[in-house]
Amino acid sequence: MKYASQKVAYWFFASAMVLFALQLVYGFIMGFAHTGWDGLHQWIPFNTARAVHTNLLVCWLLLGFMGAAYFIIPEEADCELWSVKLAYIQLIAFLAVGVTAIVCYHLNIWEGRKFLEIPRPLDYLVVIDVLAFLLNIGMTLMRGKRYTTTSLVLYMGLFFAALLYLPGMITFDNQTMDSFYRWWVVHLWVEGVWELIMGGILCYLLIKLTGVDRELVEKWLYIIVGLTFLSGILGTGHHYYYIGTPRYWLIVGGIFSALEPLAFLGMAIYALAMAKKGGRKHPNKIALTWSLGCAIMSCVGAGFLGIAHTIPQVNMFTHGTLVTAMHGHMAFWGAYAMIVLAIMAYAMPLLTGRKLWDSPLATWAFWTSNIGMSAMTGAFAVAGITQVTLERRMGMDFLAVQHEIEMHFIGLLLGASLFTVGIVLFMWNFIRHGLPSDEAIGADIEGTPTPAQT
Amino acid sequence: MLSKSQAKIFFLGGTGVFSAAFLSLTIDTHRKVPAQTHAANITPQVAHGKRIWEDNNCMGCHTLFGEGAYYAPELTKVVERRGKPWLRMFLKNPEAMFPNDRKMVNYHFNDEQIENAIAFLEWCGNVDLNGFPAKPPLAAKMAASTTAPVVTTKPIPPIFDAMACTGCHSLGGKGGAAGVALGAPPLDDVYKRKNRAEIVAWVSDPPKVKPDTKMPKLPLSPEQVNEIADFLSSLGN
Ligand code: HEM
Ligand code: HEM
Ligand SMILES: [Fe+2]
Repeated sequence: MKYASQKVAYWFFASAMVLFALQLVYGFIMGFAHTGWDGLHQWIPFNTARAVHTNLLVCWLLLGFMGAAYFIIPEEADCELWSVKLAYIQLIAFLAVGVTAIVCYHLNIWEGRKFLEIPRPLDYLVVIDVLAFLLNIGMTLMRGKRYTTTSLVLYMGLFFAALLYLPGMITFDNQTMDSFYRWWVVHLWVEGVWELIMGGILCYLLIKLTGVDRELVEKWLYIIVGLTFLSGILGTGHHYYYIGTPRYWLIVGGIFSALEPLAFLGMAIYALAMAKKGGRKHPNKIALTWSLGCAIMSCVGAGFLGIAHTIPQVNMFTHGTLVTAMHGHMAFWGAYAMIVLAIMAYAMPLLTGRKLWDSPLATWAFWTSNIGMSAMTGAFAVAGITQVTLERRMGMDFLAVQHEIEMHFIGLLLGASLFTVGIVLFMWNFIRHGLPSDEAIGADIEGTPTPAQT
Repeated sequence: MLSKSQAKIFFLGGTGVFSAAFLSLTIDTHRKVPAQTHAANITPQVAHGKRIWEDNNCMGCHTLFGEGAYYAPELTKVVERRGKPWLRMFLKNPEAMFPNDRKMVNYHFNDEQIENAIAFLEWCGNVDLNGFPAKPPLAAKMAASTTAPVVTTKPIPPIFDAMACTGCHSLGGKGGAAGVALGAPPLDDVYKRKNRAEIVAWVSDPPKVKPDTKMPKLPLSPEQVNEIADFLSSLGN
């Protein structure tokens, strides 16, 4: 690392790891409930477990993005962070809000809208917190000597993510309009501005890890995020097929959302091409593995499994079934969980000065978690397709079908166990790095001390 | 090939154009949704029901308009599917209605809250969702390949709807949707398996006769039990 203030990223990453671990616990609670083992129902009913599982996911990803920004922006802007103190305050406040929200969910206090469950007063605190973060990063950029495309795309993604949180706070008596604006957050985040964040981080990693010329990498970044918005904005229409909005959304949403995988396909080809072209052999191989893995798995989870149910005639039957959960898991994992793990794999040795990049542990973590997640996706797919056939096509009753597919949730739990082993290995490797250290400042990318230091 | 500045223009230009298109469609949607959703029917009762829906995060288990979680049934057409009497009884004590099965939280709603929640779901059921949920396309083919059950043609006394029997069981060819999962049989030919005294004992307290049954003990008076038993055993004559 180049600047002492980058160290703050470590604490964002470490907090993200803790929330991630907790997310998995609640995932298991739901998996067991689906198999009929609902012993915790009285204390943690399914809706509580679900709100905790998905909110922790979003929280740890946001912490990962913030950590990534605190690590990347000072280096790209070529100056220390504007205020390290503000960064710490903002981290602690974010965690406090998150923990409060989770406690609230156990007390039946929430807003009751999928993914946006957090109680209204906490919404305002989230907004203030994110503004503090944006201010800190923005001031750093302005103070710095240079504006790179990478940092601008990353900043733009973070800025619009904050802006798009606001429509989710409008309330309506009409369920249809409520749902309409809920998607401005949920869809325009994951299929819009978050892709900018992902693209920005990926671009940074490719520049660092492959040594390909920045101009070339950044040119393609523009094209890919261009494709994202070209398809993703009107692609929002794929959520407006069947919620009481006009029929033209079937055409608009159908066409544009079918183009969305292009951006993910572009991302995958881009990453693979740059890695192949790159002359530099960076010793941190595992960071490159995570980066390429992210580009590929997002293409599968978001692109391929997304288009599989985005056509209106298909979505008529899959809408609101476990098929959606299948896609949701692999998409979130491939695109956003993996990019956060990739930047961690890259940054940890630089933050702490400990070069644990070629340990077998790190390789095992990558493969075990990815194979586990693929198995989980398969289990959700079989359960989902069976549900669609029996319930939506043959007209069997919901609960009767649920009993038929219980065994696929045993499969889900097995896949999830393998996945969890992978994540535990990743976390163990994370802990082995130790704390960030001032001695790591100035170490170049190869991890060897610069002459100035020795 | 594009230069970097051309790529930048592609990104910024595309974003501008498609954002503008999206905003214009949003404005048009605002204009059309009130008619499509019958917004005029959103009475204070419906609005109140929606708040009950949100305050308890019902969407954390169920889907509505196909949005939500996958642990409990889709509720858009639930009023049509189950009928109000069944829903009233169910919301009073959900677990009692599906004993030994997947559980729903008992929120201890009062009668007014239950009516509000049902009003909200009824409004949802009338929104024009462009054809969602589709009628199961294979259901007719399935029915054609199974033998037709005995169906009485006698008029059905109102008590069977009022006490929600027909929520789970079919009778006279109607009802029964809620009971398919539980294996609740049609009531038309019960007389073949049970005499009048056995019907009385069963209807009064099913778990007493068969502890692992999925049929709940319903709040029936002895007169109502007799009325039910009289009718069902009369079907054999
Ligand atoms: C990384 C990007 C993506 C992530 C994280 C993601 C995640 C999700 C999640 C969590 C849902 C459920 C949302 C809810 O019901 O509230 C969903 C729904 C959906 N996604 Fe994605 N998605 C991504 C990309 C895509 C792409 C590129 C497509 C299309 C090609 C797509 C198509 C769909 C469709 C059609 C639904 C609605 C399913 C239904 O009707 O139940 N997604 N996505
Ligand atoms: C131990 C591993 C995990 C298990 C057992 C698990 C299980 C589940 C279950 C049972 C659901 C609820 C489906 C329903 O509503 O019935 C769910 C929802 C969800 N989980 Fe997981 N999960 C795990 C890990 C993850 C990970 C790692 C991610 C993200 C990278 C994730 C993202 C999601 C999302 C986005 C939803 C909402 C899906 C939707 O609404 O369509 N889960 N999970
Ligand atoms: Fe979407």
